[in-house]
Amino acid sequence: MITLTIDGQKIQAEDDQTILEVCRKNSIYIPTLCSHPVLEPYGACRLCTVEVVRRGWSSLQAACTHPAWDGLEVKTYSDPVMEARKVVMGLLLSRAPNVPVIKQLAAEYGVAEPPFAVTDPNEKCILCGLCVRVCNDMVKAHVLNFSQHGVDRVVGPPFMEKTRECIGCGACTIVCPTGAIEIVLEQQGIYAEKPLGPTSAIYVPFLQAVPRVPVIDTDSCIRFRQHDRSNGDIADACGACQMLCEAKAIDFTQEDEVVELNVGAIVVATGFQMWDTTKLSQYSYGKSPNIITALEFERLSNASGPTGGQIVTADGVKPERVAIIHCVGSRDKNAHEYCSRICCMYSLKQAHLVRDKTNAEVYEFYMDMRAFGKGYEEFYERVQEEGVTMVRGRGAEVQVLPSGKLRVTGEDANLGKLVAADVDMVVLSSAIESPADASKVGSLFGLSRTPDGWFAEAHPKLKPVETNTDGVFLAGCAQGPKDVPDTVAHAGAAASQALALLSRGEVTISPQVAIVDEKLCSACKTCLTVCPYTAISYIIEDNVARVNEALCKGCGTCVATCPAGAITGQHFTDEQIYAQIEGLFRLPERVPA
Amino acid sequence: MPQLKSLDELRALRQQLQRDVQARTAAATTITVGMGTCGIAAGAREVMSALLDDLAARGINAHVTTVGCIGMCSKEPLVDVKRGDDPKITYGNVNPTMVPRILDEHVADGRVVEDWVVARVAA
Amino acid sequence: MADQYRADLLVSCLHDRPPELLAALDAELAHRGLDKEIRVVKAGCRGWCAQGPVLHVQPDDTFYVGVQPADVPELVEETLVKGRVVERLTFRDPATRKRVHRYADIPSHRKQLRIALRNCGLVNPESIEEYIALGGYEALAKALSSMTPEQVIAEVKKSGLRGRGGAGFPTGRKWESARHAEGEIKYVLANGDEGDPNCFMDRALMEGDPFSIVEGMTIGAYAIGAHQGYIYLPFEYTLAARSLQAALRRARDFGLLGQDILGSGFDFNITLRLGARSFVGGESTAIMHAIEGKPSEPRAKHVHTTDKGLWERPTCLNNVKSWAIIPEIIVKGGDWFAEIGTERSKGTQVFSLAGKINVTGLVEVPMGTTIRQLVFDVGGGLPKKRYFKAIQIGGPSGGVLPAGLLDTPMDYETLAEAGSMMGTGGVVVMDDRTCVVDVARYFLDFLRDESCGKCSTCREGIRRMLDIMTGITKGQGSLADLDQLEQLAKVVQGVSLCGLGKTAANPVLSTLRYFRDEYETHIREGLCPAGVCRSLSRFHILETCSGCGLCVKACPEDAIIGEKKQAHMIDQDKCLRCGACREACNLDKIEIVSPQAIAMMPKPAVVAVKPAAAGRGR
Repeated sequence: MITLTIDGQKIQAEDDQTILEVCRKNSIYIPTLCSHPVLEPYGACRLCTVEVVRRGWSSLQAACTHPAWDGLEVKTYSDPVMEARKVVMGLLLSRAPNVPVIKQLAAEYGVAEPPFAVTDPNEKCILCGLCVRVCNDMVKAHVLNFSQHGVDRVVGPPFMEKTRECIGCGACTIVCPTGAIEIVLEQQGIYAEKPLGPTSAIYVPFLQAVPRVPVIDTDSCIRFRQHDRSNGDIADACGACQMLCEAKAIDFTQEDEVVELNVGAIVVATGFQMWDTTKLSQYSYGKSPNIITALEFERLSNASGPTGGQIVTADGVKPERVAIIHCVGSRDKNAHEYCSRICCMYSLKQAHLVRDKTNAEVYEFYMDMRAFGKGYEEFYERVQEEGVTMVRGRGAEVQVLPSGKLRVTGEDANLGKLVAADVDMVVLSSAIESPADASKVGSLFGLSRTPDGWFAEAHPKLKPVETNTDGVFLAGCAQGPKDVPDTVAHAGAAASQALALLSRGEVTISPQVAIVDEKLCSACKTCLTVCPYTAISYIIEDNVARVNEALCKGCGTCVATCPAGAITGQHFTDEQIYAQIEGLFRLPERVPA
Repeated sequence: MPQLKSLDELRALRQQLQRDVQARTAAATTITVGMGTCGIAAGAREVMSALLDDLAARGINAHVTTVGCIGMCSKEPLVDVKRGDDPKITYGNVNPTMVPRILDEHVADGRVVEDWVVARVAA
Repeated sequence: MADQYRADLLVSCLHDRPPELLAALDAELAHRGLDKEIRVVKAGCRGWCAQGPVLHVQPDDTFYVGVQPADVPELVEETLVKGRVVERLTFRDPATRKRVHRYADIPSHRKQLRIALRNCGLVNPESIEEYIALGGYEALAKALSSMTPEQVIAEVKKSGLRGRGGAGFPTGRKWESARHAEGEIKYVLANGDEGDPNCFMDRALMEGDPFSIVEGMTIGAYAIGAHQGYIYLPFEYTLAARSLQAALRRARDFGLLGQDILGSGFDFNITLRLGARSFVGGESTAIMHAIEGKPSEPRAKHVHTTDKGLWERPTCLNNVKSWAIIPEIIVKGGDWFAEIGTERSKGTQVFSLAGKINVTGLVEVPMGTTIRQLVFDVGGGLPKKRYFKAIQIGGPSGGVLPAGLLDTPMDYETLAEAGSMMGTGGVVVMDDRTCVVDVARYFLDFLRDESCGKCSTCREGIRRMLDIMTGITKGQGSLADLDQLEQLAKVVQGVSLCGLGKTAANPVLSTLRYFRDEYETHIREGLCPAGVCRSLSRFHILETCSGCGLCVKACPEDAIIGEKKQAHMIDQDKCLRCGACREACNLDKIEIVSPQAIAMMPKPAVVAVKPAAAGRGR
């Protein structure tokens, strides 16, 4: 520990720090431009100049590079310091006169106009070297560096040519204090302008996450990307998050764990996914940034979303007219024939939000209004009273006009005419469908699917949460579209069924199960493949197949299949069946009167 | 290439090499040979050669320079010897056979060979 | 050993010239059968650049300048055969206008005390034999066999030697810090990257006496405990690199470099490193970065390089001149060196004289020599007997001092107090026809190009100061500009990261201090009194002109009209302001006036006068 005096105040600090680091820790203000907490100090901008008095000698030094020595006296706002900073800002402002942060700092030191002739009013780079340091020392991509010298010095890739070495991480744009670096996507892809995703590789997924801790997206995290790109040669790029985390909570070595559990009941709650709205091209999804799905609208209007909850078009202005189209991909022979159930109500809610937040004109193109729940019809009435125009007719087509506006055409069945509305934003109430990996999940648990793709319940009316496999239950949209109240009820039912099963301790099962004669079994495993209930397992130690009686439903498929005849269906043995047949064909004996 | 392994070896080498640069180092004795036309005609070239060879053989450190015609053409070849602060002695009618004695007696030992002196300039 | 040579011809200034001179000498000597008696020695640079090629005959001490191949037969016949001096080839002393035959008699040489340059021009730089024969390596032998490293350091401290690179840091103290620094691996570095525009003493030393540097470094390495050294020099110095390479090779051959030097068990090796030459590249941390393979830009030196230098290891960097002086200190003792010079600046300093001075080239004089002595006694005064106006010492980082300070004894402290600096010894002498404002602008221009561009004050500040200075020389300056200039200069000086920036303001600040009136004349009267800034000077022939017509012949534009023996006049429309007429006029009848003033003077009558013979300037 060392002691030094800053602005007359005695301060204790740890060894091996710079004056700037000590000041930052003690909340003493020193302006900087070229310094960053995770990068090596460089000393280029000279804005952090302070007066240092040592052994009676006073001199001006850069706080970011000068070590904090014991007994030093530092003055952070004496006259020479202020004059020096004023001149420095005057020089920088004359170099980059239209950069907001430079103008602001210059104003702080009394410099309102560039004191020297401006050669390039569009210059933004002040050669602070932050991008160079981050690209070389942290990301280790070694793309950016200085070239030329003196007044001709510039920053860029070698020979100022585009290079494939740039991994597009964007670190340089983040550290640049003046906004002189832009990331330009090479492919102006459809989703290039959608500001609807996380902006850094480490992020809290959403504010309501539980637990509310950040996760690292290893696909965009610089450390992981560089590791993969270089086949492990670069193992420790960046790591800025770990350096800054005071709780030391970041561990890059965490791996996925595979956990094996023996359980008695399984609840499948795999939910739904949004149907791919580009499949019906007449809605032009993807051709304009202002045509969004309902889920995207939810994000837009969320207070923690990219616009802070404001409903705005891609240009950032409030829309004057909005169209909401129901049944996009639902009730459609060309997509899904079923009704997605939840869209009518949420569309009404979204219309209500649009009216509330923007006062825009809202047009709802619907076929039937499914307001089936408690308070739903009343809400429908209210929304109509708010001035939302309900157009009874499927929205047929969305066109992107050259002006950027969107033209929605549809039939108004009540009026019996085709109508069109030119709007600023279109919200598509897209269908929901079972997730893409449903077949994999299904084969894992032996679940079959109904024709609409959702998992099959044991009985459509009487057994909504059980499946044909004992002990496996369905909850929520995995079984079919439903909204929140219905999902809660359904899930509660699944939970209680599972609990009931477990609390029984013992189960009574039908005795009509298959059994393997292990002396005859040759472990060909054919029976394993045909059992629809995954009730047969191959036991490695004994090299035989064995039937799990709890799972076996006595269908008899394995009995018929076994080439060795080693499996018998209990209470359905060949002898019993022959006996039954013989009994059938036996002539009745004449009993004397 | 001798790799020097001690201060003594260095000093010994220096001794050996000093003869090589003796033209640039101070020497106690300067020997001047008259090389005007008269001198060359009288055979000063041969005297010069003999002088150089004999100096090398004896390892004597002395500067040898030339001068043009001094005027005493009849006594050429003329050889001046200036040893330290001693008066400058001019030997006349010098031929190569006289050189060893001049070197041994006068240059090395300081004894002027009086018989051959034709001029003397006080110090 | 070789045959006994009776004479050595030390020929200098051969590098990059056609090889005919040497070939002619060899041929002529062979033709006359003298090749066994007379040796031609390719000696290194002795700093007689304006007079080269020079030829020094030993032991006669006859010295010839400007020798051409065509001169060789006469030279050999007269001097080497007949012992007569060829007058026309000797050096004519500019002060006395008399010819000097012997080198020792040349006045400027007599006043010098050559320690660093002791061997330059007097030896074949690639010959270790000559170096040893003339006393070389005695110092290393003494140090290795009879001194401990601490004793070596003590001797250097006693000598009071201060770094000859320009900063003047006490060398002994630097060695001591390096010795005490933590770490097994240490380095010694020789800085041969001189960047000052008119300085070439490092080059002369590296070309002409590389062994002294190698020996000095070996002694230094022994003292601080290093086993590897680097010599950093610009790649443009091809001859210096060649001489150094040869020296390193020969030293290794003789066991004076490499393993087990002189059987002492001490190992030391030196590698050359060539860099792209730049002014800022000669800064010590910039050199270390360059050797490490990074761009040669400086870093802040809060942690001394003796603690963490090259590759974060203790490094002792000294200028090549400092290294060359070390052997002399060890052999003759620190006390001997301390006797020379002043109280706080010991020994000698090599100056490179340039500008309006008769003896241009390298001279070495004891510290404490006054500026007057340097300029007039050693430097031979100003040509054409012009008046001394100012002198810049220390290169672009130095300041301009006026005639009033001529009797200042020069050492590190006195020059710094006066607003200049010793620097590496570059000197530019200016007469009354030099404009100090233009000089300051010139050096700022140099510094602007040489700035590495890292820190904002140097990069932007120098450029802006230059803009203001250029404006003043073009007549666009105002008095408020002077205040802005001063404020800017002070901040650039106080805030910049390295020595280049910190000293960049010296030309401006010193000229403002001593020649403010000249600035104000430029601004207020729109006049450049020296006649250099073309927008602010007009040439005017006084009425007392004798009409001799010399100026007419000199003028390249035929702008001067007048009858013979009558006062001439200059046609201002044709006049280029080149100054040729003023140079030609022996009677000083051409004065400089401001454009406003000339506008008010009567114009020459446009008569169809036959101009005199076509101007010589064409």
